[in-house]
Amino acid sequence: MITLAHFLVVGACLFAAGLYAVLARRNAILVLVGIELMINASILNLVAFGRYDKTFYGGQAFALFAIVLAAAAVAVALAIILNVYKHYKTVNPEDIRNLKD
Amino acid sequence: MPTQTCPLLATLAAVILPLAAFVLSAALGRKAKSGVVSIAAIALSLLAAGYVFSQVWNQSVLRAQWEWFTVGAHAFHVGILVDNTSALMLLLVNIIALPVHIYSIAYMKGDPGIHRYWTYLSLFCFAMLGLTVADNLLLMYICWELVGFASYLLIGFWFTRESAVQANKKAFIMNRIGDIGLLIGIAIIYSSFGTLDIHTLFGPQALVAGGYLSGGWLTTAGLAFFLGAMAKSAQFPLHGWLPDAMEGPTAVSSLIHAATMVAAGVFLLARVFPLFNQTTLLVMTVTGSVTALAAAFFALTQYDIKRILAFSTISQLGFMMVGIGTGMHHVALFHLTTHAFFKCLLFLCAGVVIHEMQHLREKQALDIDPQDIRNMGGLRAAMPVTFGTMLIASLALTGFPLTGGYLSKDALLVHAFEWAALQPTAVKIIPYLLTAVSVLTSFYIFRLLAKVFFGTPATQKLSGGIATVHDAPMLMRVPMLFLAACSLFPLFTFHPLNDGHVWLLQGLMPDTMLPPLGALHLAIPLLTLGGTLAMAFLAWKWYVQARYPLAPRGVLYRLSLRQGYLDAVYDRVAVRPVLILAQFLRWIDGRLVDGLVNSVAGVGRSLASAALWTDFRMIDGLVRFIGKFASGLGNVLRRTQAGRVQQYLALAFFIVLVVLLYHIFAQA
Repeated sequence: MITLAHFLVVGACLFAAGLYAVLARRNAILVLVGIELMINASILNLVAFGRYDKTFYGGQAFALFAIVLAAAAVAVALAIILNVYKHYKTVNPEDIRNLKD
Repeated sequence: MPTQTCPLLATLAAVILPLAAFVLSAALGRKAKSGVVSIAAIALSLLAAGYVFSQVWNQSVLRAQWEWFTVGAHAFHVGILVDNTSALMLLLVNIIALPVHIYSIAYMKGDPGIHRYWTYLSLFCFAMLGLTVADNLLLMYICWELVGFASYLLIGFWFTRESAVQANKKAFIMNRIGDIGLLIGIAIIYSSFGTLDIHTLFGPQALVAGGYLSGGWLTTAGLAFFLGAMAKSAQFPLHGWLPDAMEGPTAVSSLIHAATMVAAGVFLLARVFPLFNQTTLLVMTVTGSVTALAAAFFALTQYDIKRILAFSTISQLGFMMVGIGTGMHHVALFHLTTHAFFKCLLFLCAGVVIHEMQHLREKQALDIDPQDIRNMGGLRAAMPVTFGTMLIASLALTGFPLTGGYLSKDALLVHAFEWAALQPTAVKIIPYLLTAVSVLTSFYIFRLLAKVFFGTPATQKLSGGIATVHDAPMLMRVPMLFLAACSLFPLFTFHPLNDGHVWLLQGLMPDTMLPPLGALHLAIPLLTLGGTLAMAFLAWKWYVQARYPLAPRGVLYRLSLRQGYLDAVYDRVAVRPVLILAQFLRWIDGRLVDGLVNSVAGVGRSLASAALWTDFRMIDGLVRFIGKFASGLGNVLRRTQAGRVQQYLALAFFIVLVVLLYHIFAQA
């Protein structure tokens, strides 16, 4: 029997993998992938908790919203990465330090 | 009084001219080498003095006074008082000074400091002339000090010589002792009578004779004045400076230390004569005789030609003191006058001899003292004029008939006998003592003459050089001949053997005379003449024919040569204690006074360094700590602002994690 805890464990693993990717990858695209992983982990949690709301399906509705929002965010983020690449000729976040000022 | 105006102006001119010459020479500095200014001043001064003398002598007394300054209700004056005594001294100083000035042209020729010489000489003449005509004791004291100061400058004229510096210090300090005496005397007079005017105090209606002053104070004042005169006139035991003063140029010795400055003491005593009571006069007489005897004794064995003459001067000053002490100040002044001429001449002759010996030394490259009579001999043929004039002066010194010295010395001795006849037993010996001294005088002066002008020089080298010695040049010869003429009797009287007709004595005659002893006027001259001839014979026998019979190492001989060991005694008694005291005071000054100041300063310094430490460590430290802290914190924090996105994210995650964990554990 698959319980809520299984979902949460899978979600936590996904989140951890995404977090690792965000913090450690040397490529902005893969950082973006990590972000997607973390969003998906949270969506999985929404869906998993959604079974406690059988009247309105709030969890599933929010999950759909989140997927749409994630898609929009990926589009914006890719556009930013493209521009960054044009500007810096690299997508390695280690090399882009203009935020320090 | 209009009739007095001219003499008054002449007196002023006589005094002021040398002062003007002094100021001018001092202003000209090195350019005043020729001495024309000084000589012109003294010549004009002599003319003025001669005119004053002709107007004043045995006529009216010249007086003028101007108010000088006022202290409270007491006015002090400057003024002129010219009576017979003053007029005589005024003329005498000038008449001696002029030949000496002229002589100096030749004597000081080529000296690098000659401009100073003329300046000092003019200053001295001004001071001395001022002293003679000053009408009050204050002015007189000022001139008295100036005389001492000018003498100090002239004794130390060759100040590169250590001995000259020692000598002028000695003269200055010894004179200072006398000056204190004079100052005390003046103070006593002023506090008792409220005036310093000489005419009021000591004139015909002498205030001091009025009995206002009690006996003790009168004696004290008299002794104080006498102390002043003792130092200035080199009386025993304050005579030590005069022989040492021979370090000055010989012309200076002749002017200052024979004829004028040393006479100032005698002149002072003659001026204030009414002040002295019997006690003071007796002290003077005794001091004078002791001086005369001691100095003559010291003169017997000296080898330095100038020192012999210096002791001779002291001895003759002793005679003058006896003259004052016996109440016969006119005789003292007469002896002063004759002595001034012949002693000045003696010094000038000695100057010529020294001058030539100096040349001889340079020419022959000898290592001799040009003043030592042992190196001289046989100079008579080479310098006949010097020999002749010196012989005249020496005969005048011994009191040989036909000279001025005969008249004055005879008068002095006769008066001393007359005075002694009235005295109690103990001091009756004094005139005999003086007669003996005059015999000693003959001996030492003939010894000098014999050694210098007769016989043969001590060494072969010297006798070879004698031929090159020549007589005094014209500029020296004329003053010497002039003074030689003045040393003879015609200047003073037409009667060569009797002092009763001397105009000078008649002009200065005091009111009361001692009862005369008739036979003395025959006995004394015969006695002194006999003594003189005997001594001349003795000197001839001993020194010219070189049959000296005595061992030159006797006790008396050494005592005489060392001047009674007085200098050694002074050194022990006065100089050493003063030096020890000075060292002790220096120690006090260095340790206590300076130590106190230093320790106070030390406390202040350590306070300051403590304050500095506080300021530096505490206040500055705090400020610096704050700065360092802020900058350190910044250093730490800026590591977090490296611009790395992932690092920021990691940090954010970490903080969220911490907050989460906190919440979890806080709830648990």
